[in-house]
Amino acid sequence: MTTAAPDSPLAAAPASRSRRASNAGPMLAVAALALLLYWPVMLLANRGVAQRALDSGADLGCKTALACATQLRNPVIPAPGQFLEGFRALTIPPTAPTSAPYNMLVTGGETLLGLSLASLLGLILATLLVRSRSFERATLPWLIASQTVPIVAIAPMLAVLLGQYGVQGFLPKAIIAAYIAFFPVAIGMAQGLRSPDPLQLDLMRTYRASPGQVFGLLRLPASLPYLFTSLKVAATAALVGSIVAEISTISFSGLGKMLAENSRASDTVALWVIMVYSAVLGIALVALIGWLEKGVTRWRPAR
Amino acid sequence: MATRAVSLPVAGPRPTLGVALLTVATLGLLGLCVLLARLAQSSAQAPVAGWPWLLGVAALFVVGAAGVRQVAQGESRAAKIVPAAAALVLFLLSAEALLRAYNVPTGLIPTPTHIAQALWAARTVLLLDAYYTFVLEALLGFVIGALLGLALALLAVRFRFLERGVLPYAALLSSVPIVALAPVVIKAVGLGWSSKTVIVAITVLFPVVINAVHGLQSASPLYLDLMHSYAASPVQTFREVRWPAALPFIFTALRVSSTLALINAIVAEFFGTEGHGLGFRIQIEVGRFGLDIVWAAIVVASVIGITFYLLIQLLEQRTLHRRV
Repeated sequence: MTTAAPDSPLAAAPASRSRRASNAGPMLAVAALALLLYWPVMLLANRGVAQRALDSGADLGCKTALACATQLRNPVIPAPGQFLEGFRALTIPPTAPTSAPYNMLVTGGETLLGLSLASLLGLILATLLVRSRSFERATLPWLIASQTVPIVAIAPMLAVLLGQYGVQGFLPKAIIAAYIAFFPVAIGMAQGLRSPDPLQLDLMRTYRASPGQVFGLLRLPASLPYLFTSLKVAATAALVGSIVAEISTISFSGLGKMLAENSRASDTVALWVIMVYSAVLGIALVALIGWLEKGVTRWRPAR
Repeated sequence: MATRAVSLPVAGPRPTLGVALLTVATLGLLGLCVLLARLAQSSAQAPVAGWPWLLGVAALFVVGAAGVRQVAQGESRAAKIVPAAAALVLFLLSAEALLRAYNVPTGLIPTPTHIAQALWAARTVLLLDAYYTFVLEALLGFVIGALLGLALALLAVRFRFLERGVLPYAALLSSVPIVALAPVVIKAVGLGWSSKTVIVAITVLFPVVINAVHGLQSASPLYLDLMHSYAASPVQTFREVRWPAALPFIFTALRVSSTLALINAIVAEFFGTEGHGLGFRIQIEVGRFGLDIVWAAIVVASVIGITFYLLIQLLEQRTLHRRV
């Protein structure tokens, strides 16, 4: 809790992570309970649809609505068997361009490229914010306000615009991801660059360190934990950005393209499978950043 | 003039000079805009070379930036507000002038005046959209999600089993992208606004649960011991110690979620609506290259988003101020 964490929704994550070993039992119990509840909820949700299909005279190959509930072509909630079948169909073979793992990697790559672009831009802007007070006063209120603006709403438009000027393929998605991740990163970095306390700055002065040295040896390292905290917050948003960008441009791969296709085709089972894959990707991205953080900021005591 | 401005910071802060520079820059840019508009009206094809205009705009922008620099000195209230406002005005005017000078088709990037015109022309449609997106989807979902989250947090604090079994999942699920959830929920609940309300509620739920549990446990053990030695009932302990300690954490979650709620309502609308909502409007108008309406919708959403955030912040200040 020493960093900017109290202001982020992820604040509690490290605490719960350190206790994970003792959590395994209850977590498993809750998972088992959820699985048990899944069956009746699924039956209940699908029964109405099945009944209507039967009433309209569709031949589903089953007698009662309850029996049909597990075999609907477009279920409200897929039955476990259907889900596994859909999962298998979309996963094997994993290298095919239509498979979910392949598209997950594409989207993940776009998001990671976007996040690195955002870090670079964020660093530049944060340096400006810290160096010049007039720049800060002129732009910071708008940067903060822009955090409450639905930036994702600009994504479809930006995608069209970049396409008009010939930016195509991988890059527009990464740019949109960067555009979304960039504001939290810049503000986090600015906070981090300011975080060294006066004592440390005084020490650098007594060593007669040049401004460049103060920046490279003190301010930049001090800002890294803030960078990672804001990257964790930004990662999910950036992922949302690249998926929305994939949906609103002509794209041939990526989870967004799969989502759009299956949403149009009303393939509910596939949508569920893609949801699981996107969830895995989101969690993996945050975990990757956490892992990087541990590697890069080694000097910090374990929390 | 630009060269003089560069050497000025040595002379120390001079707010009057800053105001003068700002006025020059603003009036200059305004003049350029009007001139460009006249030119476009008088001749059918006005594509003069863009670069003289670019130079003019850049020079005026530098003058304006120097003015901002002068105005931003000191600790007065004006020194904190004027630079931001001036930066916005300068930015809007420069964008207007450059877009006109380079004849960028308004279908690609509309100028600020076009956006303002679209905002006025489509005001009834946009307001109705905003009603659907904000009141029915974002606000309702926000309230439902926050209440459910608080209830879940209370249960989790009361029963440690729940805390250990459910909270790790909540932390995991908070990093699930909303766009993946939206199509599934919309298929299950239907195309109407209620599906978007459900999505907003789900996305608000997780941050509130995580922060509320964290806050409810943040009460100092000393105070808890004190309540224990007073033989206070659990209800009293809760009301006097745990709840006040949790409030700052809960409000942090509410502030973060207030922006999430609106954004997620808009994104969820990309995946299917019955023809209402700001997200629907944005999507449909991007497809028709009506980008001025898109920008107008974004302006409406931004104003609502910022107002909602500020209201939550005000509520937070009022509540916490009274408690402390």
